[in-house]
Amino acid sequence: MSLNKNMRVVIVDDYTTMLRILRNLLRQLEIENVEEANDGDTAFHLMQKFPPDLIISDWNMAPMTGLDLLRKVRADARLRHIPFIMVTAESKTENVIAAKQAGVSNYIVKPFNADTLRAKIASVCGVAA
Amino acid sequence: MEPQSSNASRLLDAHGFLDRVIAELRVMQSPQKDTLVSVLQYLSDHIRTTRSEIGALRQGGNQPLFGNTTDELEEIITETARAAGSIMDAAEAIESVAATLGPPANGALMEAVTKIYEASAFQDITGQRITKVVGVLLSLEVKLASLTEAFGSLPEPPGAALQGDQALLNGPQLMKNASSQSDIDALFETLS
Repeated sequence: MSLNKNMRVVIVDDYTTMLRILRNLLRQLEIENVEEANDGDTAFHLMQKFPPDLIISDWNMAPMTGLDLLRKVRADARLRHIPFIMVTAESKTENVIAAKQAGVSNYIVKPFNADTLRAKIASVCGVAA
Repeated sequence: MEPQSSNASRLLDAHGFLDRVIAELRVMQSPQKDTLVSVLQYLSDHIRTTRSEIGALRQGGNQPLFGNTTDELEEIITETARAAGSIMDAAEAIESVAATLGPPANGALMEAVTKIYEASAFQDITGQRITKVVGVLLSLEVKLASLTEAFGSLPEPPGAALQGDQALLNGPQLMKNASSQSDIDALFETLS
């Protein structure tokens, strides 16, 4: 089984460069149905309107952090089942533990490469990388 | 918590009081006074030195201590974001051309483009680090301002304003202050 190329992905980061990197790397994986948000609040509203198949979010954002967003998603009956990948420079053990406790599906540390992104997406979507 | 101006006046009063006590002790005839006067004089000198050292930390006038430094750091974030954007524009253009080519050229180009995308994450990482440094500088500035306030009016820092050729070495200008090439050309014309 391979990645569902039609999956709808919401990417969240307050750095425009990182959104562009993620979009381009996803396009190379032939995933083109991607929506961007610069902050957690905008992302959450996007998801409520139309729940995505995958969420890829930064952690360090204001005012709503990626962890806050993750908790909101996991507390929402319509969204709680959606795979959520945290892509962040926060690499301390306590960060990973906190994200795991909040229900993150996988965790990517910046800077990352395309292979890691592909592998994590495949992992949370339950397909071979 | 008491207002800072109250702290400032208390500190200045205490220093003035200390100097008065020293002056009064000096005129006393007691043979035991010398040690006490030496200790008190040391304390008074130390307070005076600390005041001028804190004064020297300030920039000229009422400029915030790290104001320009934090602006410069934020400018680095803006500049690197712009550079990363241009790099990505170029990489996307290469990717579109690569899509029209056959193997092995397209594969090699796509691999190179992927590496460019991955490397462009430097802007996010450096941006976060610089933002952290700016936060530390701003917090230091608040603490130093409070300390400066506690010491009352301070002497102007020595050498706050650079003179001569040294005053011309300011490095790249912040975007908001920078002249455009056409501004420079116009100025140059008026000077020739």
